[in-house]
Amino acid sequence: MFVRTSVVDHLKVDALSHSSVAEIGDSAFIHCLSRALAVKREEELFFTNEGSFRKYDVFSMPIPMEPIVERMTMQTTNLKPIIKVNNIDILGASAASVIHIGSSKHIAMEARVKHIRQLKPDIILGSDGTQMFL
Amino acid sequence: MNFQVYNRELCVGSIRVIGVSSSSVLIVGDAETIQQSSIFDTPAESLIIGPFVPLETE
Repeated sequence: MFVRTSVVDHLKVDALSHSSVAEIGDSAFIHCLSRALAVKREEELFFTNEGSFRKYDVFSMPIPMEPIVERMTMQTTNLKPIIKVNNIDILGASAASVIHIGSSKHIAMEARVKHIRQLKPDIILGSDGTQMFL
Repeated sequence: MNFQVYNRELCVGSIRVIGVSSSSVLIVGDAETIQQSSIFDTPAESLIIGPFVPLETE
C-alpha cells in the first residue's frame, strides 16, 4: 500500500483569495507561482495601472536549485493507512496557496515579492517662511 | 543510502491556522517531493522619499 488516506472530520476555511485552492482529494502535480508588487505609501494614494514585473529583476532571476546527486532508496511501510485530523480551522489562504486534504506526488511552489515604500519628504520651515526638503 | 520509514498511527486533534500565504502549502497527506522557493526584495533603493509618483509601467 503506497498512499495513506486522509480523514478530516471538520474543515472550516473563511476566505480563499488570489488564486488559492482548497483541494479535497489526491493530486499528482501542484505548481504554484505568486508574484507581488507590494507598494506602501504614507498617504492613501493609489494610481490605476501602474507598475510592471518586467522592470524588477526579482521577478525574472532564476532560482538556483541544487541537483540531487545522492543515490537513495526509500522504502515506506504504512502500518496504519490513515492520517486523521479531527478539526481544521483556517482564517484565510492567499497568493497562490494550497490547502490540500489528501496525498500528492510532486509539489513545487514559488513566491516572488517586491516591497516598495514611498514616504513624504520632511519639510522644515525657515524663519523667513522658506521651505526646505530633507 | 537506504531510507526506511514506518508510518504508525497519526492522529491530530485540532489545527488552527490564521493564514496560508505567498505560495505556501498546508497538506494533510503524503507527498513524494515538495519544492518551495521564495524571493523577497526590500532593498534600500525601494525606500523612496519624495513626491508620490506612479511606478513605471511597461
